[in-house]
Amino acid sequence: MSLPDRSRGVIALREESCTSCMVCARECPDWCIYIDSHKETEPAAGEGERPRTRHVLDRFAIDYALCMYCGICIEVCPWDALFWSPDYDHAATDVLGLVHERDVLGGWMSSVPGLTTESGG
Amino acid sequence: MTVDDPAGTRDVTAERWVEAARELRDSGFDFFDWLSAYDDSPAGLAVVARVWAVGRREGAILRTWVLPDGGALPTLTSLWAGAGWHERETAEMFGVTFTGHPDPRPLLLPNGFDGHPLRKDFVLASRVAKEWPGAKEPGESVAGRKRPPGVPAPGSWGPPA
Repeated sequence: MSLPDRSRGVIALREESCTSCMVCARECPDWCIYIDSHKETEPAAGEGERPRTRHVLDRFAIDYALCMYCGICIEVCPWDALFWSPDYDHAATDVLGLVHERDVLGGWMSSVPGLTTESGG
Repeated sequence: MTVDDPAGTRDVTAERWVEAARELRDSGFDFFDWLSAYDDSPAGLAVVARVWAVGRREGAILRTWVLPDGGALPTLTSLWAGAGWHERETAEMFGVTFTGHPDPRPLLLPNGFDGHPLRKDFVLASRVAKEWPGAKEPGESVAGRKRPPGVPAPGSWGPPA
């Protein structure tokens, strides 16, 4: 069976673009996006510069048992870290098996159409 | 066409609700499509009905406002019998009373259900029982004090403890 490559099958995560800003988790009407992150301080890069704090993602998961595929998280992401992928075969025999972690979400990036960066498919 | 001014919407006062509906029916809108409401606080509850003229394939929307509490409208079932179920659902979900309705029982909610779930001030119990994933701040893994929109502070709602 072939589908248009713009089919809205599942939501993929481009992890390197995610800043753990929590916007998607807060806008999600179903409360199905779980994010854990911590702060790390990078030493000053040189003379006259200050140390910088950045957020490091520890967990990014979407519970597809709750997700209603509305795409609001993709719309609101300020960093273009979430994408529609045409993959649809993520069914599970256990409801808990529908919570997909960032490795699975990241794997779906390979089927996201129209990306030109080297991280995209 | 916008949400605020969809094509073919006729706004009437609650007093003219049935009269305006009858004028529509008599001008060829013979098919009752649906009736529902939306919480238009603080203006009140907006009640909306859509009818359809089968012969000329034309739709019309009739809209009015009632007070958020104790709002009442006369029923349209004498014009279109099919309005009956829609009015029963709108009555239980929003708390609009349809006076003269031939069978005003709740349609979907169980007997004795307290409240009107589609009003904006109705608190969804599941939103209180489950921890909000958005309560964490960026760079943190424990929930902060941020509350999700529409969920009141603990202890400020519900039956007295």
